[in-house]
Amino acid sequence: MTIDIFWRIPTHGEPSSHRNRKPWRGDWFPGNDNLTKPGLGGGEDGTTYIDYLAEIARAAEISGFQGGLIPSFPSTDEPWVISAFLARETKTFRFMIPFQPGFLNPVVAARKTASLQRATGGRALYNIITGGGGPQQLWWGDSVPHDDRYTRTTEFLDVVRGVWRGGPFSYQGKFYQVEEAGLPDPLSQEEFPEIYFSGSSDAALASASKHADYYLSWLEPFDALRDKFKRVKDRTDALGRKIKTAVRVDILARPTEEEAWEEIRKGFANVDPAALARFQGTGEPSESVGAARQRDFRPTTINSYKDLITEPNIFSGFSLLRGGQTQGIVGSYEQVAERLDDLVQLGADSFILASTPHLEEAYRVGEEVLPLVRGRPSGSAVLRAVG
Amino acid sequence: MTIEFLWQLPTSGDGRYGDASQTRRGERSHSLHSPFTDGVSDPRGNRFNFLDHLHQIARAADLSGFDGIQIQNDLEGDESWIVAGYLARSSSRLKLLTEFEASRGSAVYAAKNAVSFQRFTNGRFAWQISPGGDSALRRRHGDFLPDSDVLSRIGEFIEVARGVLTQSPFSFKGQFFEVLDGGFKGPLANKPVPLVYLSGNTPAAYRLSAQWADVHVLDAAPAEELKESIATLQALAGEHGRKLSFGLRIDALARETEDEAVHDAQRFLAQSGRAVGTSNPVVGPNLWEGFATPQTGAAASLVGSYGQVAERLVKYADIGISSFVLAAIPHFEEAYRIGEQVLPVVRSRIAIVQAKAA
Repeated sequence: MTIDIFWRIPTHGEPSSHRNRKPWRGDWFPGNDNLTKPGLGGGEDGTTYIDYLAEIARAAEISGFQGGLIPSFPSTDEPWVISAFLARETKTFRFMIPFQPGFLNPVVAARKTASLQRATGGRALYNIITGGGGPQQLWWGDSVPHDDRYTRTTEFLDVVRGVWRGGPFSYQGKFYQVEEAGLPDPLSQEEFPEIYFSGSSDAALASASKHADYYLSWLEPFDALRDKFKRVKDRTDALGRKIKTAVRVDILARPTEEEAWEEIRKGFANVDPAALARFQGTGEPSESVGAARQRDFRPTTINSYKDLITEPNIFSGFSLLRGGQTQGIVGSYEQVAERLDDLVQLGADSFILASTPHLEEAYRVGEEVLPLVRGRPSGSAVLRAVG
Repeated sequence: MTIEFLWQLPTSGDGRYGDASQTRRGERSHSLHSPFTDGVSDPRGNRFNFLDHLHQIARAADLSGFDGIQIQNDLEGDESWIVAGYLARSSSRLKLLTEFEASRGSAVYAAKNAVSFQRFTNGRFAWQISPGGDSALRRRHGDFLPDSDVLSRIGEFIEVARGVLTQSPFSFKGQFFEVLDGGFKGPLANKPVPLVYLSGNTPAAYRLSAQWADVHVLDAAPAEELKESIATLQALAGEHGRKLSFGLRIDALARETEDEAVHDAQRFLAQSGRAVGTSNPVVGPNLWEGFATPQTGAAASLVGSYGQVAERLVKYADIGISSFVLAAIPHFEEAYRIGEQVLPVVRSRIAIVQAKAA
């Protein structure tokens, strides 16, 4: 199978470069809950942040991305809303919607999804998140304990799939019951959305093996990622269902490697010492296994940005420069493409890429990097099967 | 008092002139042949579906002077929040009154999604929360709550949603919803709370509205009857130190002359398979009870000339109705007709009345 490459929609706002946090596009960033004067959108000129997000979605589809992940955080706009708002003004952009099953009645979720498929010509995807647990879950109004939440996720997807083709479908679960349910025609004629699944615990993998199309991981050190993907594929193969794997990774690509690292050097020089201290600390405890894994890959002494280069072309300090994950790929266009191909070799079937600012970089990465990625020509999978 | 006119969006299908059967205009089933003969080429393929037509209706409402649209929660049709978002960027003016049930999931999640609507539309999103069908129908949609609890769940839903929209931290533990140290911060804080429209004719529904609604939407009935309901509801709201606004869900079949209107109304009833003349549907001046209820949900329809329909609407405004939720079949063409022929008359008559009162 060929490789799918997605982009990311910066719901969290973003600076206009990796070098500095100002000027800021949008009206929020981590650590600043009180920003009231947005740089772009939410102002008094009648535009809002959705206007900027629309530009990015258009840039991503024009430059060849499948679509984009639309992250959801407590202080960001919601992906269901963004997707519906942008349905009419995009043509090929696929909307990857992260949400926690506990937040929606599964029959309502099925109707929402089918309607979004109708509104977009089948361009909706799920990124199912089961939640990190603890106080944050109660902030969202969710009091179900961690391992039970994966049971709920499984049941939720059982019901959404069950009603999808029109039913009648009945179900007696621990969390959900339905009686003679089914989507009405013509909603029932839509394609079921592809499912990207996150979660590193055993409970998560059991749930993923039943329903996921793609197992989605943040970038981790390559050896760790190879092991993780192998574990996921072994586990799900054993349960009788093949699933693919996907990697979320930030990239910083420039015509030369020197120019790329120069961006990081300048950005690192502007990092607030307090933020660096927080970065080195252990951070808030969380029930999320994935978050703990990310922390384990972080060096303990940091005197220069170079201390955060953990593998060739891998920088482990991206979260110091902008909101989001820690690890990312830095290098020339050719190098970045090569590292992506390395990830393909160790098992990745799909990518969610991002770079700051997401608008201009969508064009740069689409024009300069994507054409260099070899990926996996559809013929090769057949050859391997024969061999 | 500002009067608003909202136009209903029929999310599961509509009729056509001279054909009351329900159709989804624009919908192209993958299995169906083109309606054209083999001798005529059809360029459409499967490119369109009914959502394209809903978009046309919303544009019609916008262009013909309505203040907003009401997006029906019709379980046989498309989901109302998706439809609202899909239409939102095609108007900078229309209020998006979106109907749904409190069984949809977490109230916090609904509130958070509402914040994005408010941010992206500059505060045009509003909620019409309905109890849903009977318990058998609700079980089909994954909702096993007994009928007796449905209204209290709506109350809690609103309490939690308003809580997280206006306070941080906000904690709540009720029968149906729980939140700890919730509330929206930063750019999501202090966005306009969606106005809440509720309805219902039972004493329990009245009590719910008195405590939680911004607008109580009444079913169409003669003005004299509604006057009584309004007084009762306002008195109940007063016990909570609140004041309600009132809406009216009514259809309007308006034509140049009354004769034409009556003719079209009778044809519609005949086409709907309902015998004409067996019982008199006319329960008030120009008011036909149960006229298009299976299609639009309205309890009654005004049937008359443009002038008569306008006059009846002014009368409802006189007794305290400030939100009109209107519909007529077919919704697209009739949006223009009502917007062009009726609303200007109603608006100017109300302006004259208000000027006199001032």
